[in-house]
Amino acid sequence: MSALIEIEFRLNGISRRVTVPLQMSALEMLRDMMGQHGTKYGCGEGECGACTISVDHRTVNSCLKFAVDCNGRDIQTIEGLAATPFGENLNRAMVEHGAVQCGFCTPGIMMQAQQVLTDNPDASPAQIQRGLEGNLCRCTGYRKILDAIEAVAHPSPAGD
Amino acid sequence: MAPTPREEAFADSLIGRRVPKLDAPDKASGRTRYLHDINVPGQLHAKILRSTEVHARIVSIDVEAARRVPGVHAVITAADVPWQRPIGITKDHMPLKADVVRSRRDEIAAVAADTVEAAEEALRLIRVAYEPLPILTNSAQALGPGAPLLHGEDLRVPGRNGALEVVHKACSDNVSMAYEYGHGDVTQGERESAVVVEDVFWLHYVTHCCMGVSGVIAEFDASGNLLLYSNTQVPFLHKREFAELLGIDPGRIRIIQPPIGGGFGSKLDIYPFEPIAIFLAKMTRRPVKLLFTREEEFIASPTRQPVLLKLRSGCDREGRLTFRAVDTIHDNGAYTSWGATTPFVMMQTISSLYRVPHCHYRTRAVYTNNPYAGSFRGYGNLQATFAVEAHMDKLADALGMDALEFRLLNAQDPGESTPQGMHFRSCGFKECLGTAAERSDYEAKRRGNLEHWNDGNPIKRGIGMASMLHVGGGAKMYPSDGCGTIIKLDDFAKVTLITGASEIGQGSETVLALLVCEELGLPIDSVTVVNNDTAITPWDVGVHASRTTFIGGNSAIGAARKAKRKILETAAPKAGRTPDDLDLRGGHIVLKATGERIQEIGRFLRSLHFSEKAELVMTTYYYEPPSVHLDRNYKGDVSAAYAWATQVAEVEVDTDTGIVRLLKITAAHDVGRVLNRLGIEGQIEGGIVMGQGYALSEDLLVEDGMIRNPNFRDYKLVTAPEIPEMDVSFIETMDGEGPQGAKGVGEAPAICIAAAVANAIYNATGTRIYALPFTPEKVYRALRGANMPPKWPEDAA
Amino acid sequence: MAELRNYAAPRSLAEALQVLASGPATVLAGGTDLMPQSRSARVRFAPTLLNIQGVAELRGVRRRDGAVEIGALTTIATLRDDPAVRNGAPVLWQACDHFASDQIRNAATIGGNICNASPAGDTLVPLLVLDASVVLASGGAAGIHERRLPLSEFLTGPGRTARRPEELLVEVRIPVPASGWVDRYVKFGTRPALDISTIALALGGTLFDGRLENARLALGAVAPTAIRAHDAERVLAEGPLDRARIDRVVDAADAAIHPISDVRASDWYRRELVHNLLRRILTDVCPN
Repeated sequence: MSALIEIEFRLNGISRRVTVPLQMSALEMLRDMMGQHGTKYGCGEGECGACTISVDHRTVNSCLKFAVDCNGRDIQTIEGLAATPFGENLNRAMVEHGAVQCGFCTPGIMMQAQQVLTDNPDASPAQIQRGLEGNLCRCTGYRKILDAIEAVAHPSPAGD
Repeated sequence: MAPTPREEAFADSLIGRRVPKLDAPDKASGRTRYLHDINVPGQLHAKILRSTEVHARIVSIDVEAARRVPGVHAVITAADVPWQRPIGITKDHMPLKADVVRSRRDEIAAVAADTVEAAEEALRLIRVAYEPLPILTNSAQALGPGAPLLHGEDLRVPGRNGALEVVHKACSDNVSMAYEYGHGDVTQGERESAVVVEDVFWLHYVTHCCMGVSGVIAEFDASGNLLLYSNTQVPFLHKREFAELLGIDPGRIRIIQPPIGGGFGSKLDIYPFEPIAIFLAKMTRRPVKLLFTREEEFIASPTRQPVLLKLRSGCDREGRLTFRAVDTIHDNGAYTSWGATTPFVMMQTISSLYRVPHCHYRTRAVYTNNPYAGSFRGYGNLQATFAVEAHMDKLADALGMDALEFRLLNAQDPGESTPQGMHFRSCGFKECLGTAAERSDYEAKRRGNLEHWNDGNPIKRGIGMASMLHVGGGAKMYPSDGCGTIIKLDDFAKVTLITGASEIGQGSETVLALLVCEELGLPIDSVTVVNNDTAITPWDVGVHASRTTFIGGNSAIGAARKAKRKILETAAPKAGRTPDDLDLRGGHIVLKATGERIQEIGRFLRSLHFSEKAELVMTTYYYEPPSVHLDRNYKGDVSAAYAWATQVAEVEVDTDTGIVRLLKITAAHDVGRVLNRLGIEGQIEGGIVMGQGYALSEDLLVEDGMIRNPNFRDYKLVTAPEIPEMDVSFIETMDGEGPQGAKGVGEAPAICIAAAVANAIYNATGTRIYALPFTPEKVYRALRGANMPPKWPEDAA
Repeated sequence: MAELRNYAAPRSLAEALQVLASGPATVLAGGTDLMPQSRSARVRFAPTLLNIQGVAELRGVRRRDGAVEIGALTTIATLRDDPAVRNGAPVLWQACDHFASDQIRNAATIGGNICNASPAGDTLVPLLVLDASVVLASGGAAGIHERRLPLSEFLTGPGRTARRPEELLVEVRIPVPASGWVDRYVKFGTRPALDISTIALALGGTLFDGRLENARLALGAVAPTAIRAHDAERVLAEGPLDRARIDRVVDAADAAIHPISDVRASDWYRRELVHNLLRRILTDVCPN
């Protein structure tokens, strides 16, 4: 067993203290110790984006982050995002545009969509496409995901 | 003009609307609990030790050190489960290998421990001594003279009475399964031909890459009943198979299917990890959870069937097809799973996509030491269509005939019965061809691109077309191809729809709810769907063969109509009407003729429940499609309906690098009728992009039995910036047997893409490539004549 | 991997160097390479995990004394968003834009990408063309010693660098190119990013009278390290960039590379790509 380190950080706005093994990833900590099951294991190598979380307002692959490096940081998971007005709005758009099929990639895509639209609320379709390049989806062919995010960026006046 | 009451009453029809997926809000907020997210109190974590050899005799396995690791509850090998029985469709595959490993994925030992880490530590301490055996790295080699036999001895296991019985007979030629089909006389067909072409095609390895990795939780209760949390696509078949494996009554097995992170056909068979988890649960008397890593998912999941295919086709001077002769060798891998049965589908495309008067088809599925192939969306049809549609272009070009006109001349019409026995009651093939060609400006672009072949610009444009025929009304492979439904209505007109049909992300729960609401005149949010527990749901053969909307839909409609009849028959006398005068619309019992509201349905149900009759409305229905089994000669009308599609691909080829970009897909699909527009668009778009991956980027590199790229870094799924523009049209042929006229469409969109892209690359460059995938180096080599075209093995005649 | 036993998360460079001075340590920056390496058992690690993320002074882009100075902990995303990088070193900007994915760009650091020393490292090719050097610090509370090395000397092999165990890469310095500087970058791939380089090329120089002066040409994923093609650069310097010279430059570049065959490409194909894409960017940089 590798060394145990105590860390403290904010998770979805709540202060948390936890003791983690040195080699543990943030993904394992969030899923196994903090009950954040919305953050998914897809590949463990930063290639699929299913484990995307936000750390100090930047999205990262939680599978590539050492849990100890969460110390002192402000972390948001899909559970946190879903409870915000922006998250609810994005959720509605994803649902209404048919962007969800098996849904396994969806939480990571929600996190990344938030990042894309926070960086650039007026993001163009091409920028949204590039913004999602780190999130694999095997079901939808991406079109409806992109449509949903574009609809949040550029809501049609008629409500579509 | 104001709508009449009748128009108003029917305005709430859900058919063809964009109905959001019922489970999407939970999925998009991270609340959905997949198998991965379920932890059962007291559960242990299991890990499997796999072979490091591709083919070897196991000399010894030493698990002593592994057993001593703190937290380890059980370490098992084949010796610990002498009663284990083989899995797979020919029962040639023991979950834990005792004497011989035949592929790099083979399971040798398994550990159950308190933590994943302890289980992994124990795996590292297991010592296995191997004695390497000669390996078969491709199917041609396996058919060659003197090839070692991979299953050359009878497989014997203890039977019920303890005596050894043969469960898989010795295979003396490495041919696991063989098929031969024919109609007419291909020699005669060839004599009547003005043009004959013959080519050899190679269709490569790809794998499903479900975003959620494989896994299972197995748990026995104190009475010895088994509960499985499983990702299976066929719970009722597996319930029975697991019972056979364990020698217990099927009634003692319950399968719960938590939401699944993608299926695509990958979960149609039992794989060794499932019985292994069950063995561990039995031995430890604890719930056992087993999850793959992504690397394991690549190594130990099934693949699409790799196929070497020789096709010979001909047509007469007027452009009518005269014959088609096909011989294929399927690389079966080390064991036999559903991949070996893809010829059932392939021969339909060969014999019946176009009218072919003389046809011969042969397949041998051959054992090798490679990963073994399962079922995968499209089920052999991507491979068959790739070859057939290449020849449609080649024959047309050889005749100097327009490629669209050539296809239209040979395309099937509605009402036709093919020599293989398929009867096309609805068939929108020619509309698909016409629509896709017109919307993509196919003919003009195809001619125009030829002018740029030698213009010095390294960037070329190409357009290519391909079409497909696939089962759209189930496929009768089992004694029954049916599905059961139970419907109950509560006192407030809320519906519980209990269906045997499994949901794997495709949206079945939403479309089934939609069909029920359409019958009962209720809004979509009044339905709760229960579809994932064999202890509750009625029997269904499983989610495969694009059958769920069709079969599950007809079943749901049947149950809903019974509920409707009961309501109307009970309500009619009170309203002083006959049941035929009434209908259910907008949450009310209404007068059919005028739409006038008589009573709110919930109110009616309460009055029925709390009356002297004291009745509830609960109905059941079992739908069995009017299809038949194939006969011994592979003939028969195996599906209740058939789906058609034409897809046109436009590509850009960079001849300096070999990069092929897919710019646009114009697709026209005969779907019978659009039920949930949002859902069907999602299926088509997702299938197109999956087909794009098959054509252009996905390549499971298997060399000497080893997978060289078991990761998303080098196994390349299509990413968001790479998708093409998609123009999708629906041809509504209103199938007479389909639910509200619909046909199954789940597999269709993935089938044509590679074939269309191949034709487009030819149109761009004048180079025809016979082997998939069209990854840059392969295309570049082909353009430079530096590739090795696929060859038919001389000694596999 | 060897067991990680100790953890240090210093807040200052001096503290971090102190840890390195006291014994071998595995440096954690963005972690995007380190985490998968730690799981694969392919790389050996020192027992102390030294997390330098808290050393704020190692972050940021400054322009000073005719150079762009990039702190080692600057993320690829920060570089990609920095106007100084975008305008002053477009080849580096393009490489950052083609780097992995947003999530990885948000975590991965330039120091990490350099120290990981992959032959296919995305920032290395443009940094070589920009004639970048790295600053290595060592010492501790008693004083910090710095030494500066050209990047080309720092990279010594696949996964190997000239960094001494007690040293930390703290900064990357890029001399601001002279006026008239033009450059081109190409990373071969079917995706805009999220791709390990099959080959990458960067070319830079001052365009004057149809010739590329002070030309620099760098290539990635075709040799044990990202390399400069000095002979090709000499050919470029000798005269106007006509068709014959382009042929000679391509020949010289071909002689400089030693590509391997792996799952991504064969050596033959890598050479073909170098020829064709180099030809393409040479034609593009001087279109006559």
